[in-house]
Amino acid sequence: MVLTQSKWVRAVAFFAVCIALLFSAKISYAGGSINGAGSTFAYPVYTKWAFEYEKATGNRVNYQGVGSGAGIRQVSQRVVAFGGTDKCLTKEELGKRNLIQFPSMVGGIVIVVHIPGIKNNQLKLSNAVISKIFMGKIKYWDDPQIEKDNSGLKLPHLGIVIVHRADGSGTNWNITYWLSQISRQWNQKVHYGLSVNWPTGVGGKGNMGVASYVKQIKGSIGYVEYAFWLQNHLTNVDLQNKEGKWVAPTVATIREAAAKANWQPSKGFYQVLVNQNGAKTWPIVSGTFVLIPKEKSPKYKQAAEFFKWGFNHGDKAAEKLGYIPLPRSTKKLIFNYLRENGF
Amino acid sequence: MSKRRFLNYLGLTVSTLSALIGLFFLFWIIISLIYKGFHYLNWNVFTQNAVAPGDNGGGLKFAILGQLEVVGIASLIGIPIGLLAGIYLSEYGKDSFTSNVIRNICDAMTSIPSIIIGIFIYALLVVPMGNFSALAGSVALSILMIPIVISSVDNILRLVPNELREAAYALGAPKYVVIFKVVVKEAIVGIISAILIAISRVLGETAPLLFTSFNSNFESYKLNKPIGTLTVTMYDYAMGPYDNWHHLAWAAAIILTFSVLLFNIASRLFSYWRFSH
Repeated sequence: MVLTQSKWVRAVAFFAVCIALLFSAKISYAGGSINGAGSTFAYPVYTKWAFEYEKATGNRVNYQGVGSGAGIRQVSQRVVAFGGTDKCLTKEELGKRNLIQFPSMVGGIVIVVHIPGIKNNQLKLSNAVISKIFMGKIKYWDDPQIEKDNSGLKLPHLGIVIVHRADGSGTNWNITYWLSQISRQWNQKVHYGLSVNWPTGVGGKGNMGVASYVKQIKGSIGYVEYAFWLQNHLTNVDLQNKEGKWVAPTVATIREAAAKANWQPSKGFYQVLVNQNGAKTWPIVSGTFVLIPKEKSPKYKQAAEFFKWGFNHGDKAAEKLGYIPLPRSTKKLIFNYLRENGF
Repeated sequence: MSKRRFLNYLGLTVSTLSALIGLFFLFWIIISLIYKGFHYLNWNVFTQNAVAPGDNGGGLKFAILGQLEVVGIASLIGIPIGLLAGIYLSEYGKDSFTSNVIRNICDAMTSIPSIIIGIFIYALLVVPMGNFSALAGSVALSILMIPIVISSVDNILRLVPNELREAAYALGAPKYVVIFKVVVKEAIVGIISAILIAISRVLGETAPLLFTSFNSNFESYKLNKPIGTLTVTMYDYAMGPYDNWHHLAWAAAIILTFSVLLFNIASRLFSYWRFSH
């Protein structure tokens, strides 16, 4: 089995040629290429934009959804050209890491249910009722407190099963923050955070985990991001916003929250979008943010160029995927902010 | 019935049942995988690259070739090191203090969670280089392979009877000739099956690749750039909202499972072949 000398030489030469071929892979391209990492929520849109951006400019942007926490860490360590995060950083944190921050789009979180006979936008759950449901205080769908707001509906005598996220996530943060805003009891007993001690229910991993549990379990109620509600054909409920008006989750009502928000570029656009003012505003809305290092480098310049392109050409693609683009007024603020920072 | 016979039957029943339970779950996984995923497997999966999210069609060519590249280079790094270290332990170190320390470290290393190795390489290679790269992924996988190869090669070589070595020495052969022409030659089938098992062990790994070779939606096989791999792509697609992604994730799951099975069966066949000779 021992190779003769000439065979050894041939084998080594073969591997050398293989590796040389890999390095100079013919599948190369003229443009530059940068990497980004972070929010899984933003992954489909940035990827869709990246495919179109490559067609339009020849530059490649490879974005991977590794989670907001990892995205913040990796852009702070400068191993990627930009980071994506659903949890916005404060001015102090941005200064410490020498980053700029701006929102790229907004997303709504939709309460979904699985009750036989109930279709989209039929069930109305008031703030008082929904916080009691998530606390485990209301146990059946035909409870008089639910029926009060839904006089026309025939609700079955079916146990309520709460489906929540098992993993820590920005979606969890937003929904628990909203529950804390509408219910004092929730704020005292459970409070809000990336992961909380849910009083009752079953946990699913990621949006997809929650969506498939809600599909499987009769009588379940859960929460998913708008895109997952749209793609998985789940049944949504209508909610009350800050002004007490009934609203349905639509592109318009979610965009309204971004338009009503008081964005401040000097603070790196730090802004919680839950429970914004306005009669037509969907109450559970969150932004997703981009982090780019401030240093002068072609990599970071390319990252900023990519998002400028996305703001100008990417709205339709984002809407088709179930995401809500920023209003024009907000985009204008971002363009100014980028210019001020030398991008 | 005597007590001893009863205990015999009892023991036999319990162990047969345990074996059946193990087999039951293995077959359950394989059958449900085929049942749910087989119809998503088609020619396009092997010949097309990724399409934009929400679009239909597309395939996994970039990820399959990427996985082959990362695992291939990991094997090029890991197998020679593991092989030579295993030979050292069995032929030179024997039962010395150093080699026992190495053996213990190897055993400890095989039980380190693979994500930790990924983070270790992230700190060691990715952060200093300022870039994720296919090479970093390969190095992470090779670190997973090395202890497996070392301990199995060590064990296999120590099974070679000492009389064979003595006979070769008696004929005046130098030590390296004894090792390569007698000991390794005698154990070659076992070594190859150990290597195949080590490859199949790293073939299905996702965690060490997440923060090293990263992932890519574009076809790129450069060693100093992120690369798409089947395992990471499957994870991303399975957790995403689009049906088309879920179909591709099923196809990826089938391809991965059957490649791992194939490697395992190949290594079995090798050892079978050895005993039949």
